[in-house]
Amino acid sequence: MKIFSESHKTVFVVDHCPYMAESCRQHVEFDMLVKNRTQGIIPLAPISKSLWTCSVESSMEYCRIMYDIFPFRKLVNFIVSDSGAHVLNSWTQEDQNLQELMAALAAVGPPNPRADPECCSILHGLVAAVETLCKITEYQHEARTLLMENAERVGNRGRIICITNAKSDSHVRMLEDCVQETIHEHNKLAANSDHLMQIQKCELVLIHTYPVGEDSLVSDRPKKELSPVLTSEVHSVRAGRHLATKLNILVQQHFDLASTTITNIPMKPTFSVFDQEEQHANTSANYDVELLHHKDAHVDFLKSGDTHLGGSSREGSFKETITLKWCTPRTNNIELHYCTGAYRISPVDVNSRPSSCLTNFLLNGRSVLLEQPRKSGSKVISHMLSSHGGEIFLHVLSSSRSILEDPPSISEGCGGRVTDYRITDFGEFMRENRLTPFLDPRYKIDGSLEIPLERAKDQLEKHTRYWPMIISQTTIFNMQAVVPLASVIVKESLTEEDVLNCQKTIYNLVDMERKNDPLPISTVGTRGKGPKRDEQYRIMWNELETLVRAHINNSEKHQRVLECLMACRSKPPEEEERKKRGRKREDKEDKSEKTVKDYEQEKSWQDSERLKGILERGKEELAEAEIIKDSPDSPEPPNKKPLVEMDNPPPVEKSKGPVSLLSFWSNRINTANSRKHQEFAGRLNSVNNRAELYQHLKEENGMETTENGKASRQ
Amino acid sequence: MPTVVVMDVSLSMTRPVSLEGSEEYQRKHLAAHGLTMLFEHMATNYKLEFTALVVFSSLWELMVPFTRDYNTLQEALSNMDDYDKTCLESALVGVCNIVQQEWGGAIPCQVVLVTDGCLGIGRGSLRHSLATHSQRSENNRFPLPFPFPSKLYIMCMANLEELQSTDSLDCLERLIDLNNGEGQIFTIDGPLCLKNVQSMFGKLIDLAYTPFHAVLKCGHLTADVQVFPRPEPFVVDEEIDPIPKVINTEGDEVGTGITDDNEDENSANQIAGKIPNFCVLLHGSLKVEGMVAIVQLGPEWHGMLYSQADSKKKSNLMMSLFEPGPEPLPWLGKMAQLGPISDAKENPYGEDDNKSPFPLQPKNKRSYAQNVTVWIKPSGLQTDVQKILRNARKLPEKTQTFYKELNRLRKAALAFGFLDLLKGVADMLERECTLLPDTAHPDAAFQLTHAAQQLKLASTGTSEYAGYDHNITPLQTDFSGSSTERM
Repeated sequence: MKIFSESHKTVFVVDHCPYMAESCRQHVEFDMLVKNRTQGIIPLAPISKSLWTCSVESSMEYCRIMYDIFPFRKLVNFIVSDSGAHVLNSWTQEDQNLQELMAALAAVGPPNPRADPECCSILHGLVAAVETLCKITEYQHEARTLLMENAERVGNRGRIICITNAKSDSHVRMLEDCVQETIHEHNKLAANSDHLMQIQKCELVLIHTYPVGEDSLVSDRPKKELSPVLTSEVHSVRAGRHLATKLNILVQQHFDLASTTITNIPMKPTFSVFDQEEQHANTSANYDVELLHHKDAHVDFLKSGDTHLGGSSREGSFKETITLKWCTPRTNNIELHYCTGAYRISPVDVNSRPSSCLTNFLLNGRSVLLEQPRKSGSKVISHMLSSHGGEIFLHVLSSSRSILEDPPSISEGCGGRVTDYRITDFGEFMRENRLTPFLDPRYKIDGSLEIPLERAKDQLEKHTRYWPMIISQTTIFNMQAVVPLASVIVKESLTEEDVLNCQKTIYNLVDMERKNDPLPISTVGTRGKGPKRDEQYRIMWNELETLVRAHINNSEKHQRVLECLMACRSKPPEEEERKKRGRKREDKEDKSEKTVKDYEQEKSWQDSERLKGILERGKEELAEAEIIKDSPDSPEPPNKKPLVEMDNPPPVEKSKGPVSLLSFWSNRINTANSRKHQEFAGRLNSVNNRAELYQHLKEENGMETTENGKASRQ
Repeated sequence: MPTVVVMDVSLSMTRPVSLEGSEEYQRKHLAAHGLTMLFEHMATNYKLEFTALVVFSSLWELMVPFTRDYNTLQEALSNMDDYDKTCLESALVGVCNIVQQEWGGAIPCQVVLVTDGCLGIGRGSLRHSLATHSQRSENNRFPLPFPFPSKLYIMCMANLEELQSTDSLDCLERLIDLNNGEGQIFTIDGPLCLKNVQSMFGKLIDLAYTPFHAVLKCGHLTADVQVFPRPEPFVVDEEIDPIPKVINTEGDEVGTGITDDNEDENSANQIAGKIPNFCVLLHGSLKVEGMVAIVQLGPEWHGMLYSQADSKKKSNLMMSLFEPGPEPLPWLGKMAQLGPISDAKENPYGEDDNKSPFPLQPKNKRSYAQNVTVWIKPSGLQTDVQKILRNARKLPEKTQTFYKELNRLRKAALAFGFLDLLKGVADMLERECTLLPDTAHPDAAFQLTHAAQQLKLASTGTSEYAGYDHNITPLQTDFSGSSTERM
């Protein structure tokens, strides 16, 4: 596939000279009288379109089909030529729609038959066409910018479709020579310009059109290479519907389209309000609708022979259409799993009644399965028509055997035997992490563009920092009481209200512990009754701390939640405390470092925790291990001052406004405690409330003690 | 992707190989040895792929139809008889038929041709096939290139010198060329022996049968996965970006990314079944919620994960790859613009999950969704005129529709430069005016005359009256119910 092939840029050059005002001599009856009202009235005389009208409506039809199937990256530039060239639009994507072109054409109006034919010529348009092909499109510009030093890979090719009334074969030759020469000149200009690109390849499609009934003065000529840059072909076509048919064939050739006819469409005569009067009351015939789409939608039909026809552009082959039968719509979507492609469509006869019935049916959200007509009885569904967001797509459904058939069950693989996954919770997680389009660009604080998808990934990262996969691995996520905290702590930033809610949650837990409420601790794999109640609470507090700690670097408010948690969490019984005291001493040393504990550490801790959870669950060492691991963060025995205050003095003075319950509480404890003892020497000499302990050891052994302390914790 | 093994069982494959050991080997033994190695590799690393075995001489036969049962393939290898001469073309035609019948024309297949480089004699020999290649008609088309996406690997039970002594190598190279260059020829390095055959098949395995291991990541939740079939490199645009896109094999994509991993998935045993795995969790939740997950495979390459169930009770996590590009599904918009709903002012899915931000509507409606005017067939024009006429007869009730249709026709006629039509319709409206029955509402006559007059003015083409954006508005009359003074 090439994005910048000839079909990236199409220039229409339509002759607007006086002779184009001539009639095409094909009459249209427009005054169709309804039988019962028309006695004695002679219908108005039929009218006929001018060559100009035929040319314009055929080229609009070409554009309509192209825009339907390729709304992007296939561009049209419309030029009208008389005494000069009128360029009706530009290559920009905003200019690429029928409304714009129609409005511009209305402004030009039909050719003036009384203008001086001598000063009018199609040549002006052709010269302008070459000029416009040298202009860079926004897609080319974007690709060039993206490729940087490889910018020369971006091709510049294009097609000029010229509809005119030529005088003779030699006149045609003259037009070709003119294009050839102009390309040569403009390529020279483009070579020295940053805004222009040289034309590498140009396909000139000259269409000579003449009134029906006249002899053509110009002969057809298949595609011929005039120079390495220019190829040219000549079509001599009668005006009227012949011209429209020709352009329909060309649009299929130029954009690799194929045709599918949907047959057997059941249609009630009452579908269309407007046409009621024309309908015979009891016609309920089956209709056919022809659709165009990219030929890849027929890939399964291309038998070995057809795929290799290559460039042979036999006209007949484009008349071919593949007929598929309408199947009554079903809701069973199982076939979609084998959908191998979806292709935009355009109806050939867009506003005929059957076409608009079919398209409206699809646009209203219903789907139609299409069946291959087969001689044998078997029914093969090969395609499906369905719309997405106001666009209709032809979906290719694989009708052969699937290589994905009979997949093994997921329960046979890794983790398949585990039965207590938090399926519902993860469903909730997924719903919270759903995606939505952000079409307007947003900017970060530093002014760089914010990519919504990156935001989504950041959120996933935050939300999964602590996320146990199975129910028996967690306590807090099985507790309704923790939900208010767990749901907000993962956020990037917290509001005051969020913090308050978290604190309330913690107080609530403290309350539960005081009342000795049971906890939903998993007893899977444990012998006996499982851990004791106070042990259960310690496990719960530890887990909650892990969750909160995973987020303390998000914001200062997260930090406050941790402070609250640390201040409130239950205190281990004294005897255990005494047992561990020896170890504790060492641990206290890296306490100061730990306050700025980075996330990595936390993560590895989590992992080891998780692993332990799996491997050692139920073993008695588990409880002990957790206590040991966790000891640095556990509060000191009650007769001592709580450690938290040493590390993290609550920001009492800082916070403006009403004093929070936490700070009120901490302050009280502070003052109460300070009365009971003499101030530590260390605190008196501290910098920012931090004092280095055991400085003499450091002087002797360097950092070793700290290292050891750490190692013993692992 | 499925594999067809095409094994040469002509007499020349029974030529003995001089080995130092006591046992006498024939070339076909070497071939069988190599294939055994391939099958063993696939049985462990590619157990979900289908493989078929075809043998050929002057005729061909499908020994084992496409299967995942590598034991059957292995057995078939040991049950091969010796036949007459090599006739490659008919065997390749056979491969075409087998693959197309089984998978259709869209599924890529690998064809492993095992031969000794003796290409047959006379009619049906490869030399003969290639010599007559240019004189083919549609009916006896040469089977290459295969009518499905393919790679043709030719495993020669011969070394390079032997092949080069005749024109065999040239002929085989032509085969690859005919398959649009998709494929490769392998020859035995050094003397013909089991070890060198193994190393040749080892090269094939490295090239075409390396298992695809990856890590599925969702933030900190991760799982090692193997993907069947192996996702193949993809060329987005041969001109701008000729290097095929491959799925990211390194880097630390945060979020829904896939990265490569060296861990061996085959250690999936009893213990692995009991260790919680993120894939199982994800699959379960996707299934229960009826959702799909978007997965990023590389820069501007995405896919989706979902739970797929076959007709039985079994279901598994399935990944579908989208075409690489910034916007693989137009109704989702650009992938990079998809962000978390928490960034939105209000939940775009609604508080009760009753709405969705998708599908996105395109900026410009397609022609079939915007009531375009096409008059290429007379019936199109006639229908539009009839609509005006029908509404004209129901004036003043249908005033709005009448003018809407009138303006639509006017716009199209102006754009197409079809001014005669405007005159014609004006005449028609004037005639309608004269045909109004006595019982008609007096407003009808006023509106018809007004409309006819306006159309006539537009048909002069003067810019004052023929403006495209100008609309004919209903005449304000006493009858039309407005309080404005009659002019």
